[in-house]
Amino acid sequence: MVLEATMICIDNSEWMRNGDYAPRRLQAQADAVNLICGAKTQSNPENTVGLLAMAGKGVRVLVTPTSDLGKILACMHGLKIGGEMDLTAGVQVAHLALKHRQNKKQQQRIIVFAGSPIKHDKKTLEAIGRKLKKNSVAIDVVDFGELDDDDGKHEKLAALVAAVSNNDNSHIVPVPTGSSALSDVLISTPIFTGDGEGGSGFAASAAAAAAGGMSGFDFGVDPNIDPELALALRISMEEERARQEAAAKKAAEDDAKGEKGAEQASSSNDATMSEAGNTSAVAIDDKRRNLSDDEAALLEEALAMSMDVGKNKSVDIADTDMSDATTEDPELAHALQMSLQESTKEPVSQSDMSKVLEDPSFVASVITSLPGVDPNDPSLKDLLASLEGQSETLKKETDESKKDGDK
Amino acid sequence: MSSSVIPRGQVDLVDFVDWSGVECLNQIGKNPIANALKQGYRDDDGLHLESDADEQLLIYIPFTQVVKLHSAVITGPEEEGPRTVKLFANKEHMGFSNVNDPPSDSFNISADNLKGKPVTLKYVKFQNVRSLTIFIEDNQGGGDVTKLQKISLYGTTVDTTNMKDLKKIEDH
Repeated sequence: MVLEATMICIDNSEWMRNGDYAPRRLQAQADAVNLICGAKTQSNPENTVGLLAMAGKGVRVLVTPTSDLGKILACMHGLKIGGEMDLTAGVQVAHLALKHRQNKKQQQRIIVFAGSPIKHDKKTLEAIGRKLKKNSVAIDVVDFGELDDDDGKHEKLAALVAAVSNNDNSHIVPVPTGSSALSDVLISTPIFTGDGEGGSGFAASAAAAAAGGMSGFDFGVDPNIDPELALALRISMEEERARQEAAAKKAAEDDAKGEKGAEQASSSNDATMSEAGNTSAVAIDDKRRNLSDDEAALLEEALAMSMDVGKNKSVDIADTDMSDATTEDPELAHALQMSLQESTKEPVSQSDMSKVLEDPSFVASVITSLPGVDPNDPSLKDLLASLEGQSETLKKETDESKKDGDK
Repeated sequence: MSSSVIPRGQVDLVDFVDWSGVECLNQIGKNPIANALKQGYRDDDGLHLESDADEQLLIYIPFTQVVKLHSAVITGPEEEGPRTVKLFANKEHMGFSNVNDPPSDSFNISADNLKGKPVTLKYVKFQNVRSLTIFIEDNQGGGDVTKLQKISLYGTTVDTTNMKDLKKIEDH
């Protein structure tokens, strides 16, 4: 959130009549200016932006640095095309305008839209660049429009930016002609993202609105503005992906040898559940009833996710998942029996279950944290058992689920 | 501070510098003004203030209270140390464009000064100083880079109330 005063230098020369940036180069610049102003003001409300036109009858300051966006937009409307751009004069006048800014604490920045050919030579530009650096002014150059390198336009601009740049605070952005608008291309550049979190958030949402796509942040939602929403979207995306993966695996593979896979899955369940100890364990238990090799993989993924997040939403989603996939697979029951035999010998009985339930405070705390879960659900009881996190519970649960499966 | 002698009755004004407002134009990022001004940094021979795009430097030092300046010690390396120095009292937000205004004082730094001999200022011009701007026009060798090891300012305060000090006394 850098406190900054920015002067935007617009190219309104005859070259701007060209329609290669829709609808006309001048309008494309206007849109870009619009976006920049918004981004700057959003990243810090005390930022000011000013506007000047480099061509026409001569370099003219249209708006001195102000935080009033309306003024700036109004000025862009009345702008006439004509004449030739004078880059050096434009930059120097911009520097002067910045020098007389109201709030001397603001950093100085100039943004130049260079659309027409540059008649000055590289040395002059470099000298100006050094002067700007000396006065701690940063510069951003948008190289668009006439892109031919006959007169070394890009080279000259690059030299200018290099001369000014102090710790990479200045950038040059070449924008090729093409279908995407000037402003869209700019959004992903350091001109916007260099503003810091607030600016890029604005840019990201603006991009999402404008292009209908994702840029900067996933899902078009800024984690800073709405972290819960962004998080929820991310989780559901991951779970969807995991579910599809598992479905693909299931289609690819036949039923398991089961034994090893089931046991490993069960033990990994317990280990992870004891660590996590959260709501999604209910869903996990549902899943375990229908254990098979491929589903074990899904299970582990879900566990990993739930460990990271621990949100109810994943529970709901996972629940719907597994009820769809429920089978009374005889091979599954067989697999469970095998795993049962192979696990460490411990007398499995209801008394073990009751031991867990004798810890009422623990039970209560867990249950209360689970909205929408029926406390009498046998799967929940299994959950409680698993939260003890011992190998005994592994046996208990497999026994329970086997019993449930047999029912 | 073995290399400099504090003139009698004067204090080192480093304690009265308002650090939040200290600025230096044309300094290189990794060798900033703090290296030359701050206690500890300025005595470290490894740290110095260096100019960036060319050999000129413009240093703005506000004070937390009104002071009178008596003398200054400016040290630096023989070749790249500063030569022509101009001082401006109470001029806010100077830029390189108005450094040609008449200064409050200006002097040339000699080799002795670079080793630590204090420069006596025109005391009468610095009776009521809220901020000081130091403009370094060129350096000894004439090269593109000016380096400064230390800037120390000596003088007295005009006994204005420093609100921070007030609080400390109340703590007793």
